[in-house]
Amino acid sequence: MAAKLSEFYKQAAQEFGLAGRIKLAMLTKISSEKAANADDSPENIRIFEQALQQLRSGA
Amino acid sequence: MKISSKLILFFCGVVALFVLLAFALLAQTRTVSAGYDALLSQQVRQAEAARVVQVGFKKQVQEWKDILLRGHTPADLARYTGQFHDEETQVRSGATVLAAAVRDPACRELLDQFLVAHRTMGEKYQAAYEAYVGNNFDFKLADRMVRGQDRAPTDLFDQVVRRLNDDVTASVAAQERAVQHARNLALALSGGLLFGLGLVGFVTVSNILRRLGRLKAVSDRLARADIEGLSVDISGPDEIGQFGNSMKGVHAAIEELTRLASDAGHA
Repeated sequence: MAAKLSEFYKQAAQEFGLAGRIKLAMLTKISSEKAANADDSPENIRIFEQALQQLRSGA
Repeated sequence: MKISSKLILFFCGVVALFVLLAFALLAQTRTVSAGYDALLSQQVRQAEAARVVQVGFKKQVQEWKDILLRGHTPADLARYTGQFHDEETQVRSGATVLAAAVRDPACRELLDQFLVAHRTMGEKYQAAYEAYVGNNFDFKLADRMVRGQDRAPTDLFDQVVRRLNDDVTASVAAQERAVQHARNLALALSGGLLFGLGLVGFVTVSNILRRLGRLKAVSDRLARADIEGLSVDISGPDEIGQFGNSMKGVHAAIEELTRLASDAGHA
């Protein structure tokens, strides 16, 4: 289970609402359903951190 | 590698190939031209010079006959004697120049023999001429003195002409063989290069079209929102790979949207 990746989705929803979740999925190319089943690998965490950073910077 | 880079490389390859072929064709044309120039400047020219000497020698003998037939008048005697000596000089100088120029040792030996025979014949003709003039233009006496004397030099020079003509024929045949060989080599090389280039082009285009087909299938399913079990497995560093990567984002976004809609429906 990828608890950390799911946390990113919760964070995006808190900060940007539903649109934030959809944008996060688009940027990471991993939907929340797949993120829940994916590994919390350093590579995946890096991808989600970068995507969340992009959302915050308004990209 | 990007498709644009592949296409530019392929275009450069085609241009380079044709430039290479053009240079090869130019070099081949120069080689053929040089071969024929050498043939014309040496063997053909020597064969032509030999024919000139051969004709000059026949004219010299003809002038001797004119001396005997018409030399009883002083004007004709002076005229034909002068022409006889002119031809004799030209034949001798022509044969000497030719002997120095020919590369075939056997031909040079024949020319040397001809010069000796021609000089001997000239001495005998001179003795017969003096007998002819000193014996009240007795042409029968003079003719008896030199009868058959032109046979040996004639035969020798006929052999020279034949050898030089054979040399020209052999050189032309060798040149034709060389040209044919060079042409076959050029055809094989250019054919092989064109085939290789065509094969590379075909493989490249087939690969692009195949991946574009897969991309279109994914795009069609996304357009219908048919994402159940959809997998976007199109990757690579080129434009199609980049497009496929974008499609993965769209796919994930639609999945997320579908899930949110489903969650909202259940709430």
